[in-house]
Amino acid sequence: MTPLLEIRNLCFRYEEAASLVFDNLNLTVCEGEFILVKGLSGSGKSTLLRIICRLNRQIRGDIFFEGNNITTIAPAKLRSVISYVAQIPQMIDASVEENLLLPFSFAANTSKCRPAKEELREMLQKFYLTDVALNQSALKLSIGQKQRLAIMRALLQKPLLLLLDEPTSALDQESASMVFSIMECLNTEQGKTLITVTHIDYKPREVLPLTYTLAARKLHLSL
Amino acid sequence: MNQIINISNGQLLLALLFIVIAQASSFIYHLGLNRDITIGTIRTFAQLFLMGYVLTFILKSSNIWLILCVFMVMVVSAMFIVKGRVKEHQIPYIVPTFLTMVISYFATALFVSGLIVGITPWWEPRYFIPAGGMVIGNSMSALAIALERLFKDLREQKELVEMKLTLGANYREASDDIFRKAVTAGMIPSINAMMGVGLVFIPGMMSGQILAGTDPLIAIRYQIVVMLMLVGSTAITSIVVMLFVRRRCFGSGEEVLLSSR
Repeated sequence: MTPLLEIRNLCFRYEEAASLVFDNLNLTVCEGEFILVKGLSGSGKSTLLRIICRLNRQIRGDIFFEGNNITTIAPAKLRSVISYVAQIPQMIDASVEENLLLPFSFAANTSKCRPAKEELREMLQKFYLTDVALNQSALKLSIGQKQRLAIMRALLQKPLLLLLDEPTSALDQESASMVFSIMECLNTEQGKTLITVTHIDYKPREVLPLTYTLAARKLHLSL
Repeated sequence: MNQIINISNGQLLLALLFIVIAQASSFIYHLGLNRDITIGTIRTFAQLFLMGYVLTFILKSSNIWLILCVFMVMVVSAMFIVKGRVKEHQIPYIVPTFLTMVISYFATALFVSGLIVGITPWWEPRYFIPAGGMVIGNSMSALAIALERLFKDLREQKELVEMKLTLGANYREASDDIFRKAVTAGMIPSINAMMGVGLVFIPGMMSGQILAGTDPLIAIRYQIVVMLMLVGSTAITSIVVMLFVRRRCFGSGEEVLLSSR
C-alpha cells in the first residue's frame, strides 16, 4: 500500500553558511495514523511541517504525497489537501463566519462543498466554541478560541493530512486540554491523519500515537 | 507684454535667501537638515545649469540615436533613484523594474509626441524629451512608493499571507490586498494632482509656457494632456512592475521568500 506521506533523505539548512537542521531525515506516514513529533525548542519541528506543505524549501531529499513528489503538485492544490495550522493562529479582520469560509474563496477549493451556517454552528459546538457567534469579529477572540477556530477552518477543507504546529503552546491548561481532545477525536472518530509537533510532555488519552523525537538532525521512533 | 523678463545672476543669488531661511530653521530647531539642504542647493544649481546646456545642444539635434540615448540616460538615472530609495536586498527587482520602465515610458512618450501632438518626426526632441522627462519623473516616485510598500507589507504580514497559502490560496490570492494597497499608494499623488490642478496649484509646465508667451488656452490643452499622460503611465508602470516583482517575492513552491524583520 502506498503511504500517504513519505519523506526520503531530507536535508535542510536555514542559510547557505549555516549548519544542517535535518540530515537525511526519513519518515513514512500511513493513512489514519496519528504522528506525534517531540523535540527541544529550535530542533526544527515547525520547519519539518513547513517543508511538508512547501512553505520552506529543502536543499536535498524528496517528499512524496500519495506517491507523487510534492514538487510536481501545484502548490495551491497541495495545500488544499495538506492543511497546516501555524503555532500562532492568524485571522483576517472579518467575522468568524468569513474566517471559516475563507478557504472557499480560493480557486483551489471552489469544487469543494461550502458548509452551510447550520453546519458551522454544529462544528463550533464540537470545538467547545458555544459562546462564539458567527457574526462576531474573529480578531476579538482569545488566543485559545482562535487556535480552535484555526483548526476548525483547516478541517472544513476536508484535508487528507492535517499538520498541527505546537497547537497548545500559547494556551492555558483548560484550552490545551480541549485542543488535545479535539485532535484525538479527529483521529479516532473521523480517521484523520495527523502530524502534531510539540515540545511539551503530552500523553494522549484515547489514541496511541506513533511518537518520534527530533534530535541530532533526524527523527527517532520512541518505543 | 509677451517679452520674457530675464533673471540676472544677482537676482538668482537673491533667491538664495529662501535657503538661508531653511538653513536657519534647521539650525534653530535641530532638524539636522543643514547638510542635505546645502547639497540639495548645490545640486539644483549644477544639475539644472548642466541640463540647460545639454538641452540647448540636444533640442537642436536631428540625430534620433542621440535623442534615444538621452532618454535611456534619464531612465537609468530614475532606476538608480528608485534603487536608492527602496533598499531591498532579498528580492531581485531591478531587472523587471528597469525593463518595464523603458518600455512603458517609451510607449507613453511616443504616444504623446507622435499621436496626440502629432509632431513629425515622432522623436522631435522639443516634444519627446520633455514628455519623457515628465513621465519618468512622475512614475519614478510612484514606483518607489509602491515597491517600498509592497516589500514592507509582505514582510509585516508574512504570517497572514502564509495562512492564506496554507488554506489553498495561490500566491496572487494570498497577496491581493497587499498588491492593491501598494499600487494605490503609488498612484494617489498623481490622482491628487489631478484633483488640485488649476485650483490648488498651477503646474510648472503650464506656468512656463505662459511665462514664455504662449496663449494660456493652448498651454492648458498641453497641461491636460500631460496630467492624463502622467496618471496613465503611472498606472501602467506601477501595475506591470508590481505584477513582476510580486511573483519574485514567492518561490517555486509559492512560498514567501522575504524574511520577517
